[in-house]
Amino acid sequence: MNFTLFRSVLRNVTSVTYRSNKVFSLCGLPQVPRTIHTTCKQYDLMEFFDEKKNWNESNIRVGRSWKLDELRIKSNGDLHKLWYVLLKERNMLYTMEHECNENVKLFPNPERIDKVQESMDNIETVIRERNIAYYKLETGETGERSVDEVVNLLGLNEKYQKQEYYLPKFMNTRWVRSYFEHGYINSLAVKKFYRLYKEKLYNIERKARNRDFSHVQHLLKRFPDMDMEKLKAEYPNVDIEKAKRSKKARGHYMPKY
Amino acid sequence: MSTRWYPIYQKGNPQLRVFLPNFWMKLVRPEGRQQPSKVTFHCSIEMTKHDVKNYIEKIYNVPVVDVKTRIAMGKFRKDIGKGYIVKDDDVKFAYVTLPKTMKFDFPNIFEKKKGDGDDDMKSLDEAKKSFKNYIERNKDRSDVPSWFSI
Repeated sequence: MNFTLFRSVLRNVTSVTYRSNKVFSLCGLPQVPRTIHTTCKQYDLMEFFDEKKNWNESNIRVGRSWKLDELRIKSNGDLHKLWYVLLKERNMLYTMEHECNENVKLFPNPERIDKVQESMDNIETVIRERNIAYYKLETGETGERSVDEVVNLLGLNEKYQKQEYYLPKFMNTRWVRSYFEHGYINSLAVKKFYRLYKEKLYNIERKARNRDFSHVQHLLKRFPDMDMEKLKAEYPNVDIEKAKRSKKARGHYMPKY
Repeated sequence: MSTRWYPIYQKGNPQLRVFLPNFWMKLVRPEGRQQPSKVTFHCSIEMTKHDVKNYIEKIYNVPVVDVKTRIAMGKFRKDIGKGYIVKDDDVKFAYVTLPKTMKFDFPNIFEKKKGDGDDDMKSLDEAKKSFKNYIERNKDRSDVPSWFSI
């Protein structure tokens, strides 16, 4: 994977121009009115550690995470910069947490990691929204990965996320073999599996039915004057007249009929 | 998200591009003795050597000469109390070599500052103080349980 991201990344979203390799010079952009201010600008491996004044502290106060609505009004460039600020922050927190664990110390305010993670998730959401909007405008589709209902090799319906293949479907002789008349999908093993699977599903349904019926019988035994319409609405699959006639539904008193 | 999913072919080079990388890296203390120009990292398990190099060069602006990686398998251990077996996550180690001229010393974060009292003493003092407060508050009502307060 390559990180030369700065030229063609946002081409699809809006017209944002990047000066390549200068994306990280966050603090000194005079022509942009709203810049994101970061506390430290030291390009060094010490960025993996917290500021020196926070070492050995037991309580580090920080603000809240970025909200969706705040991020929606930012430009793509700002979001891109903010992402890297958050990424570095998260790396820093992971490093400090690891070091604390190694030294058997308490990591101060571990919720900072969650806050950074939430901000990053929100940025992703906003970028995704913009991407979808762009694709809908330009192509009429969302540009998301489409999901299909397919029958899998075990003969069951499955949600399949489409993906790219080197070979087109019609040329893939190996894949299609299992769907032929004597292929795997029609084999005895799959048929046996399907039969047992159906049996399992049927048993689940049957047990639920019996359980409901029995429960209604006991309800009738304990509360003979209850509202029958409500009972019918609660258990629509149960034959209430039949339940009433049964021996289990009779209480320890003289029957009224 | 779609950027997390690499298409087989896309227009333009380089083929693999990331807009918002979600890789993480931790700088960790080296296990043994290590040359001063080498740094040990833990990183996302899907990162390659090229990823590590690009990550540190582009995001942290630190030149990298060489990267070596390995994956350490997580430990198998019994869950305390339940007894079933738990496997810890695998970790990818990245050993990064900086140029000869650069040095990196892992900082000592938990070094004691001068004039700083011991943590245990501090907490003991606090406990004493709160106990004194509690006694003071309940002077006139010695039979009231400690959880009761107005």
